[in-house]
Amino acid sequence: MIGFLTTSACAVALLIGTAAFAAPPAGSKLTVATIGEPATLDVQLSPVILVQEITQHIFETLFALDTSGVAKPLLAAAMPEVSADGLTYVIPLRQDVTFHNDAPMTAQDVTASLMRWTKINSKGKAAAAYIDTIEATGDHEVTIRLKERFAPLVAMLSQYSVIMPESTLADPLVEFVGTGPFRLEERRPDQYIDLRAFEGYTPPAGEADGYAGAREAMVEQLVFTPVPDANTRVEGVLAGQYDYADSLPISAFDRLEASDVAEPVVLKDSGWMSLNMNMKEGVLTDVRLRQAVANALNSNDLMAAAFDDPGFFTVNGALFPESSTWYSTAGMDIPAEGDMEHAQELLKEAGYDGTPLRILTTRQYEFNYKMAQVAEVYLEMAGFDVDLQVSDWATLTSRRGDLAAWDIFITNSVFPPDPSMHNTFTASYPGWYETPGKDAALASYLSAVGEDAQKDAADALQTQFFTDMPIFKVGDFNSLSAASKKLQNLEPAVWPFFWNVSVGN
Amino acid sequence: MGSVTSVILRRLGGMLVVMLAIVTVTFVIVRLTPGDPAAMILGDQATVQDIADLRERMGLDRPILEQYATYVLDAAQGDLGQSLFLGVPVLDAIAGSAETTIFLTLFAILIAVAIALPVGIISAYKRGSVIDQIAVAVSMLASSVPSFWLGLILIQTFAVSLGWFPTSGYGGPGAGFATRMGHLLLPAVALGVVNSALILRFTRAAMLDVLSEDYIRTARAKGMVEKRVVMRHALKNALIPIITVVGLSVALLISGAVVTETVFGLPGIGNLTVNAVMRRDYPVIQGTLLVVAGVYVLINFLVDMLYILVDPRVRL
Repeated sequence: MIGFLTTSACAVALLIGTAAFAAPPAGSKLTVATIGEPATLDVQLSPVILVQEITQHIFETLFALDTSGVAKPLLAAAMPEVSADGLTYVIPLRQDVTFHNDAPMTAQDVTASLMRWTKINSKGKAAAAYIDTIEATGDHEVTIRLKERFAPLVAMLSQYSVIMPESTLADPLVEFVGTGPFRLEERRPDQYIDLRAFEGYTPPAGEADGYAGAREAMVEQLVFTPVPDANTRVEGVLAGQYDYADSLPISAFDRLEASDVAEPVVLKDSGWMSLNMNMKEGVLTDVRLRQAVANALNSNDLMAAAFDDPGFFTVNGALFPESSTWYSTAGMDIPAEGDMEHAQELLKEAGYDGTPLRILTTRQYEFNYKMAQVAEVYLEMAGFDVDLQVSDWATLTSRRGDLAAWDIFITNSVFPPDPSMHNTFTASYPGWYETPGKDAALASYLSAVGEDAQKDAADALQTQFFTDMPIFKVGDFNSLSAASKKLQNLEPAVWPFFWNVSVGN
Repeated sequence: MGSVTSVILRRLGGMLVVMLAIVTVTFVIVRLTPGDPAAMILGDQATVQDIADLRERMGLDRPILEQYATYVLDAAQGDLGQSLFLGVPVLDAIAGSAETTIFLTLFAILIAVAIALPVGIISAYKRGSVIDQIAVAVSMLASSVPSFWLGLILIQTFAVSLGWFPTSGYGGPGAGFATRMGHLLLPAVALGVVNSALILRFTRAAMLDVLSEDYIRTARAKGMVEKRVVMRHALKNALIPIITVVGLSVALLISGAVVTETVFGLPGIGNLTVNAVMRRDYPVIQGTLLVVAGVYVLINFLVDMLYILVDPRVRL
């Protein structure tokens, strides 16, 4: 039985009104053991989980997502005023926001930061194709004009598009000045990242809800320590050295549950697994063979091999988990256990000539490798000749950019806040998913106005996705972390956050 | 004196050639290895174009010979470049990791020698006795135990169960020297015990050889007290192989006890190098390999000089 923070999280959401900074208890400190050293603290450049986990305490976006994945104002004073044609977004800014260098946040800072985001962030670049201008139209107002309707704009302004003082914007970023409840005190690579409560912080209005709503630094010092060995993170949190430990082996669950010092934190639907296929070159350019791959695989076995404990995964081929407002079964017609007979028929129909199917995988993430091993067996049963190529993750990420080097790579991802933000829908993302049907469905989604129209368009996009089968989505997984029993008000999250969290006795 | 000076000069010249070869080989190997730092920085969302854009901004798309020439010229002036990930110069990153590695090596080797030397001497002196057999068996066991396993056992026992030591890390922000050193004790024990096995076996073997020499028999025949025979005559003559193996152990430890550093979450040279390899931080890989190779070469040089000091008959 999994009964702990996951279910109780919502019950302990804070009720904090807009208020001035209340100093946390002197000497209070919260230490987090992370999986390693982040590549950078520039989250606009490097939107990876670890970077986001740490920097969300330093930097903030105009909007933030609540527990349902809905955007709420954060640095914005309210939701944007959208013109009737859907092409102009007027965003009012809060007037009580101060940067960590004590300068007030202005519309100029916001436009400069967003411009940088559109130049260096992958999603920002995608948005740039739709953006005509970003302008300061008042001291505390920014207006974004679009060339075409772009439905995910607000969702995109809720992640990675952080606001920094214009004076600190540089490439590479050398000053890490944000507006968040914590400011950067010191970064010692491979040792720690030391954040301190920001005395000039004014929390946004509203009830704390996911990443949105009220935030307050409840500890004076927040330290992120890289501890690359997962077993050491387990021992550290059990010994009370760390208050929170990220990404732990599932095998540690029982020890954590039995501990007097720490407790397990299960992050539901923290990510999903997929076999991404090369649509531009090689064996799988033929949609019948991509469908054959999807039909050959038994998702139950693949997920069981990768994650072992059924409490930690859900077989789900849809683009979003059941807990998401975007969840839909539209277009799904392959059973979870696959359809081997149909796969073999498709292979015959496509005239598969025995060219090896090159699957890239890595042992750096053991679940990735285990899934590849089971997939290899099923694909060979269907009639494919499989060439499993194992390398480290860095090599895999490099090789998947080479059109001629692969047919399938196995990866895991986190759920985006918007259907169009799935990497696979970006035509230049490895896999190169570009079909007339997808382009039309995506364009319909991006120009949809209103919740119902967007939902219908998202369903149509998912249906097209299953028709084209650019990737085979296997299922969703939960991940295990651990928290000290002294922590109060911790809310499990993919990017765990420690504002509103205090350390008791 | 003249011949010693010429030996030193000859060895220093050789060291320079070795270092230049290392610079070239590491540069070539690093660039030939698949993987791309830009892809690692940008993460899973990155498109092929995003990666190409960042490579250009980082200067990684420049011709390889141009990059090599820049690197060699800068390295000759003591500039090993800037880490692509850590936001600091490579030399600063290495200096930041050096304290951990130097003190870990020092503690580990002190523990290893403190165990190995007396036990090795006694074991050789009492050859075939119960003490000797126990010492040989324990040293075999110690050499077979992986340091990471021993590390985890030590963590579970002394950090988690007894709470005497921290489980990992290097003390965190504001940690004083004593606190930082406290974090090195458990890993030093793990490394010291494992390394003591090799030194013990070399000490025992060297002492056994020397104790059967004629001059030892002669010393005893002259009525010299046994302690003086063993410590003054036998041990001094057995020191060369012992110094060699201690030197090798120091060189290995200083280049990074990677596994132990990872298990204990220590920010040492080993961790720095491995992390740099995993994320393809070219300047840090090249810099750490260069510095570690330099230390290796230097330690070998110092060991050679010690040979001359211990036994002036040695000619290199």
